[in-house]
Amino acid sequence: MNRENVRKLNSRIALSLSTIAALSGLFWLIFILGDVLVKGISALGPALFTNDPVPPGMEGGGLKNAFVGQLMITFFATLIGVPVGILGGTFLAEYARGRKISKIISIFSDIMVSIPSIVIGTFIYAIIVKPAGHFSGWAGAMALAIIMIPVVLRTTENMLSLVPWTLREAAFALGAPYYKVIIQVVYRGAAAGILTGILLSIARVAGETAPLLFTSFNNSYFSTNMNEPIASLTVTIFQYAMGPYDDWHKQAWAASLMITIFILMLTILGRLAIRWRYGKR
Amino acid sequence: MSDIVELEIKKLNFFYSGGIATLKNISLPVYRNSVTAIIGPSGCGKTTLLRCFNRMHDLYPGNRYEGEITFKGKDILSKEIDLIDLRSHIGMVFQKPTPFPMSIFDNIAYGLKLRGTRKKAELSGHVEKALKHAALWDEVKDKLHSSAYALSGGQQQRLVIARALAVKPEVLLFDEPCSALDPIATAKIEELIQELKKDYTIVIVTHNMQQAARVSDKAAFLMMGELIEFDKTDKIFTNPEKKITEDYITGRFG
Amino acid sequence: MPVLFKKNAGDRIFSLVTAVSSLSVLALIAGILWVLLAESSPAIEKFGFFRFITSTDWNPVTESFGAATNLFGTAVTTVLSLLIAVPVAIGIAIFITEVAPHYLKGPIGVAIELLAAIPSIIYGMWGLFTLVPIMSHYVEPALQNTIGKLPFIGILFKGTPMGIDLLTASVILSIMIIPFTASIARDAFNLTPAVMKESAYALGATKWEAIKNIVFSYSKLGVFGGIVLSLGRALGETMAIAFVLGNNHRITSSLLDAAATITVTLANEFTEADTDIYLSSLFYLALILFVLSFITLAIAKLFLLKAERRYSR
Repeated sequence: MNRENVRKLNSRIALSLSTIAALSGLFWLIFILGDVLVKGISALGPALFTNDPVPPGMEGGGLKNAFVGQLMITFFATLIGVPVGILGGTFLAEYARGRKISKIISIFSDIMVSIPSIVIGTFIYAIIVKPAGHFSGWAGAMALAIIMIPVVLRTTENMLSLVPWTLREAAFALGAPYYKVIIQVVYRGAAAGILTGILLSIARVAGETAPLLFTSFNNSYFSTNMNEPIASLTVTIFQYAMGPYDDWHKQAWAASLMITIFILMLTILGRLAIRWRYGKR
Repeated sequence: MSDIVELEIKKLNFFYSGGIATLKNISLPVYRNSVTAIIGPSGCGKTTLLRCFNRMHDLYPGNRYEGEITFKGKDILSKEIDLIDLRSHIGMVFQKPTPFPMSIFDNIAYGLKLRGTRKKAELSGHVEKALKHAALWDEVKDKLHSSAYALSGGQQQRLVIARALAVKPEVLLFDEPCSALDPIATAKIEELIQELKKDYTIVIVTHNMQQAARVSDKAAFLMMGELIEFDKTDKIFTNPEKKITEDYITGRFG
Repeated sequence: MPVLFKKNAGDRIFSLVTAVSSLSVLALIAGILWVLLAESSPAIEKFGFFRFITSTDWNPVTESFGAATNLFGTAVTTVLSLLIAVPVAIGIAIFITEVAPHYLKGPIGVAIELLAAIPSIIYGMWGLFTLVPIMSHYVEPALQNTIGKLPFIGILFKGTPMGIDLLTASVILSIMIIPFTASIARDAFNLTPAVMKESAYALGATKWEAIKNIVFSYSKLGVFGGIVLSLGRALGETMAIAFVLGNNHRITSSLLDAAATITVTLANEFTEADTDIYLSSLFYLALILFVLSFITLAIAKLFLLKAERRYSR
């Protein structure tokens, strides 16, 4: 074989390997999603949503408490985390635009995004659970909120930066003060992008388990009291999966399916919103 | 300039993916050891035509050629043509200098290494020759192993020319090689092109009329994908056949 | 350019509110560091630093704690998962940027992003109930019968293949970080100017040669940053491996043994810690994890910033 054919063969081998790598990525996705779907659907039933857990061995238990608890924790986390994130991002992209402090906070936020979430759980345990003497829904919501803040902050900053500067100048020219320009003009221009950031940050925390393990803990009874330990789907999945009962395993699969569907839908929705607003890329 | 035709373009049509013809029915000869300039207003298809000669369009999906370009008795548009082989016979220099992120030496040696030359001494000889040929040797001989990015824009462009020369092509394609350079660097490149035509066949795309007049022997005037006029450069610039050519040359549009 | 604005009441209030919000990020980082330090101070006083990280003791009964077994588990799973994930991720990135026909680029890109969006607890569930049996019945015996028979390397595959071990945890972890690494590598590859690739092709390079020599050298900073970032992610991943690692505080020579990482220990033992020194030692672990991942992520960010600055001109 001459040298050129060897080179072409090498090229073909390398590119084939990359194709195999891509197919393996697809394979895992289909394998995992398919598995969750098949095992989850078989355990799905109305009782899952309408009933609270029953002792193992008894029929007809559900996870109503965990669904409600998960919704409440996520809701309050969003309520705390999103405003702080949006306002923080506003400072970076507007008042501190081009200043060093803006760059520094940006970099630290990026690092913060990837800080192990279990560490945040231990932090909240120390500052809320320990002083209060008990686990609580609020502690869980705070832990998730802390995870959301840097995510929302960075997307808000990026999205505000995408709004053309001339738009602000046009508003200044009409005599508007900066805060009115931001609230009435810039936010409107970046609304779709910020919304996407919020959706993706909810998707990010909705599947979090580690930071809830020792903040909101778990509760096998129905409770909407954020001041008490409260059940969540993710912690319940962990507890049920590690438990010895078949019934528990089934319900854990069903809960996994619901969480996966919820998060993938949010993710897809978020991506669609970006594409719809900023053209396809 | 010899009378031998190095590249013969026959009834060439070219379509970008999407289907609209960007080049329409172009026929023209490129003579060996000559400089052929392709001129015309922006968007007329100059660069598109140039990139047909080394099948650069094949890198992107959906592009399609019709017609023929003969080189060494073979139609280089045919499916059987080995693009890797073709491109080592027909070299190309781009608008902006494109030094690779490696040393000066490695830039020049890159094409040779691809072809299997590994011996240091042999490589050194070729690199020196190519750099001398591109009139860059004296300026870089003491810093062959420093980064190519340390060179000025004009030097980088000559480096890229040397890199193309090192693999010993017969034809060199220049795509507006001076558009990113200052007048002094431009003059050097133009001088070099004059020098190179003794050994190579050169096709140059330029939007600079003076440059075309200075460096080329033949000129092809393109408009909206069609070849309007092809002749000796002197003739095109002093006494064109067509009114529209004259209007463009004298700067009435374009 | 920095913005100048008139100091009217509205702007004074709004700029203050936004500034405080953004500073909350810095305050949180400092706060986490401070609180973890304070909480772990009893353990720091009792065990010191070098003794803590080198001691393999983890004994709640005798109240003697050391981080060595946890650090060992974290190091092995992180390194092994990166060894598996990085080549695959780079292959995927090459496929998406250079190989895939146009109509496939979108779908594969979306698939990779969905894979990245699946929460880690799902990976853990799937790992425990689906991957563990596959590993213990097929993969691990097969490994034992092949490379397990080799001298020296064989020691890595000794023991009964139970599936609850370092190897399975690393495989799950690698599946989790593949999409993450792949999408950063893809973005880095995309920064290579098309004309540089064309220059290589114009010299008669094959596609692989253009990727290897041009795309790689253009993107190495970004790809390296992405790998370090993935390392940071792998360090802190908890739920995906908490199911399948077995929480066994031992340093083992075989990949087919159960082990413990910092994260898995925290997840399993934090609520069970019944003495102050036990809890404080767990906080100490959390502090070490926080500092480790902070440094790793900062290094990654540095590389990514450098890459951005160099090539986004």
